Formats: sequence, C-alpha cells, structure tokens
Amino acid sequence: MLGNDIVDLKLAKTQSNWQRSGFLNKIFTKQEQFYIRSSENPDRLVWLLWSMKEAAYKIHNRITGVRNFAPTSLECSIRQEDLKKGAVCIDAETYYTESDINDDYVHTVASCLKNHCVNVKTAIYKAPNLLADYKNTSAACVSHHGRYLALVY
Amino acid sequence: MNRNEIIEAIKLIVKPYTEDVAALESINESTDFIKDLKINSANLVDVVLDVEEKFSIEIDNESMAKMLTVEATIAIIEEKMNSNAGK
Repeated sequence: MLGNDIVDLKLAKTQSNWQRSGFLNKIFTKQEQFYIRSSENPDRLVWLLWSMKEAAYKIHNRITGVRNFAPTSLECSIRQEDLKKGAVCIDAETYYTESDINDDYVHTVASCLKNHCVNVKTAIYKAPNLLADYKNTSAACVSHHGRYLALVY
Repeated sequence: MNRNEIIEAIKLIVKPYTEDVAALESINESTDFIKDLKINSANLVDVVLDVEEKFSIEIDNESMAKMLTVEATIAIIEEKMNSNAGK
C-alpha cells in the first residue's frame, strides 16, 4: 500500500505560519522539534516532516479505518545527512518514506515495505498543466496542494 | 455561551482557512472541517490554537485528535470550559 503527500512551498509560506506560538508543539514530537531547530533550513524540515506524516497517515488511515488528527502520534525518523529516506512509526506500525525535496516543493511517498519506493512511479504536474482526468489513471494515492498535483502508482 | 453562540464563534475562527464560502455559510454541527470546508490539514492546527485562545482553554492531544467536526469541537470546548469553571 502507498501514500503520498505534496507541499507547495510557496503556498505553505503564506498559508501557514509555523513559527506561531504553540504550532510546533501541536504537530511535532520533541525529537522532531530537535531536527527542526538544528537544521540550517528549518522551514524545509518543517514541511519535510509534515509531508512524511501525511503520507504515512494516508496508509494508516486506510488500514485501520481510523480517522483522527493526531500528528504527534506519527513519529518521524530521519538521518540528518540524508533527508530523503526516512520512516514514520505509529502504534506498532512502521512506514518507510522517500522524499523529493527542492526549492519548489516537498513530495513524500510512504510504503508499508522497506525499499519499496524505488519501484514506485511518481507523476508530478504543475498548474496550469494539471492532469484533468487523473481519477481515471488508477493512481494508488493522490495529493494536491497549491500549484501541484502528485500521483503515485 | 450556548451552542449557537459557540458555532458562530467557530465560524469566525475557521473563516480565514476556507475558500468555500457556501459551506461556511451553511456551517452546522455536522460540518467536517476537512471534508466540507476543505481546510488544509496544516491549518487545522491554527483552528485548534485559535479555539484555545478564544475560549481560554487548553486542548490536549487526545482532544485534538477528535477535532474534525464542529460537533466534536463544541463538545471539547464545553468540556474544557466546565473543568475550568470548577477550578
């Protein structure tokens, strides 16, 4: 099973103020806040960790049928020397993530299986060139934010 | 504050985070922040923080987990305000 999440960094800048008092505490664990604080680019770390949680939640929600808003229960682990590969733990489950990070967006693919992400086909479209009939392409997961539409197969 | 007044307060709080004017106008107890108002999930944190400020309450993670609808939010506000009043 796959989950994905894209964050349009331009929209995120105006849509969310993560420096607002209390914001990080509601979303991130102490360890994740440490990653953010010790990063040269905290803004990028915030959205990387957020997209990891969202991508993992999309799988977990389908498996368990539980819908909730408990971002701190999804615990991200990353290696600071290579931010692309990570894992997200929730309850007894682990989801493995691979992220694409650039100046425009962060896109994360999550999978139940380790190293599964290498076999995943990803398609990212940018407005105005969005794929209108993406619902007919039988994507395993779809994420849409700001200018971007991301599909995984 | 009665339930209608709480709904009105919630409506004002969520207004900056939704572009769906029609859904906002018809807000009621069964309104879902994400499904109906299309609020971005990162902005749901802002809604939680705004509710905390507006009602002078503290929303723990366990309560926040349930805060997906207006109905659940009213229940949390009432519960926290009652426990504040008892202090």
